[in-house]
Amino acid sequence: MTSAELKNVSYIYSRGTPFEKKAVKNVSVAFEKGKITGIIGHTGSGKSTLAQLINGLLEISEGEVFVDGQNIWENKKNIRSVRFNVGLVFQYPEYQLFEETVYKDIAFGPKNMGLDEGDIDKRVKTAAKEVGLDEALLDKSPFELSGGQKRRAAIAGVIAMQPEILILDEPAAGLDPRGRESIMKMLSSYCAESGASVVMISHSMEDIAQYCDDILVMNKGEVFFFGTTSEAFAMSGRLSLIGLAVPQVTRVLIELNKLGFDVSTSIYTVDDAVKEIEKLFGGGEKC
Amino acid sequence: MKDVTLGQFFPGNSIVHRTDARIKLLCVIAYIVGIFLAKSAAAYALVLVATVLLALVSSIPMSTLLKSLKPLTFIIIITSIINIFWYTAPEGAVPLVEFWKIKIYAGGLMTAVYMILRIACLIVGTSVLLTYTTSPIALTDAIESLLVPLKIIKLPVHEFAMMMTIALRFIPTLIEETNKIMAAQKSRGADFSSGGLTKRAKAMIPIIIPLFISAFRRADDLAIAMECRCYRGGSGRTKMNIKKLAPTDILLPLFTAAIIAGAVLLNKFVPFNIV
Repeated sequence: MTSAELKNVSYIYSRGTPFEKKAVKNVSVAFEKGKITGIIGHTGSGKSTLAQLINGLLEISEGEVFVDGQNIWENKKNIRSVRFNVGLVFQYPEYQLFEETVYKDIAFGPKNMGLDEGDIDKRVKTAAKEVGLDEALLDKSPFELSGGQKRRAAIAGVIAMQPEILILDEPAAGLDPRGRESIMKMLSSYCAESGASVVMISHSMEDIAQYCDDILVMNKGEVFFFGTTSEAFAMSGRLSLIGLAVPQVTRVLIELNKLGFDVSTSIYTVDDAVKEIEKLFGGGEKC
Repeated sequence: MKDVTLGQFFPGNSIVHRTDARIKLLCVIAYIVGIFLAKSAAAYALVLVATVLLALVSSIPMSTLLKSLKPLTFIIIITSIINIFWYTAPEGAVPLVEFWKIKIYAGGLMTAVYMILRIACLIVGTSVLLTYTTSPIALTDAIESLLVPLKIIKLPVHEFAMMMTIALRFIPTLIEETNKIMAAQKSRGADFSSGGLTKRAKAMIPIIIPLFISAFRRADDLAIAMECRCYRGGSGRTKMNIKKLAPTDILLPLFTAAIIAGAVLLNKFVPFNIV
């Protein structure tokens, strides 16, 4: 089942002016439900633009976008309801918190959907639980929270709309390693529990390698590659052509391979790499 | 929000660009005086020619200049209507058109045309002389150095100029920030474009509060960064680029002086009006 699908989508910035720029060129991808897709690519490769095209913040110049099988631009007046179905979490989402309490802030999205109080209450509490926010924090001002908690509260505000597809732009940017890991784990358990698609834009190859099922590689506004994570990192040569690196462990294995050790180079998580290297020492006994 | 062109600067290398900002600032004042001195048709023609000449010399594209007039269309139309229909004609003047209670006099039409010319020259002239050809930094520097005499009466001139520089510097940043916050709140279903006035005003809260917070955060960061570099206000500060007047800086003052003199003389000796 796909949650969102793009067909030959292009987007042109400042059309008809000297500053005209094609930011997204002829992109066709489909995001599966219950899967985490990572989007990687250089700054300016069109990742963030793509995210805003899916939830209708930017109007596509060419092509079609389907969310839940519905062409989102078929009825322009309904574009707001599309956004409830496509949750978009921007970079540094904690900077958009504004309400008096965390509870009210998380309730902002559901309230805009026109739900009744009971429903909103349920959604806020589930969302808070989902992102691992303690219920005691809900009555606090969002500005009293720590950085990581603010990030969670902001993500909860989007999750509370229970979108079919959740898109996050650099969800772990600026967090310490522990905060990073817990946000990523939270996302992957959210994806498994809710059955929604999770799409994550990231610069961290390690995060992508560890948590994503599929990878979309963007280059200069075009789809460079779209497939499973192992396929993506198996082609380290092609990735480095467009200036992207494979995860560090994969690089270690590639170097080992060059030195004449017999290791697979399509491994991209630390755990698998450990096993592969242990094989070299004869059958995986721990030392 | 993308169309905000507050003090848009077009880099260039024309004589207008190269003239010292302080001189330009003074010339603008003189130029405005010149425009308001013009009373006769000939004087207006002179002002118009001078403005066009300035625009040509500055090599700012004509389309940009015309665009800068666009926000004034409303004012221009209103003043024209008032001038045409509420003209108090001198005794014995014959109206050009007369029907029902409305009388249109040649004098009224003439004043309307003069008014339009005056507004257009004012906007085009000042933007060519100042905003389009002077970088905001040069402009605030110029203001600071022209206001230096006020230090005698203990006005914090440097602080004032620094405030202006910082404000100008942060306009684009805050616009970008606003766009980001708007996009984020729209993604959560915020609706800025429907409903009555109160509903729309309320819809601004989710934008304004994060914007204020981010502005305070930036102010804090900036204050710390400035303090780290030992900023302690104007006393004892020297400038990296000390502006020295160049010989060519005399051209613009001569030009504006010519406009003023020309306007006065033409008013007196060629007081020809079509009326």
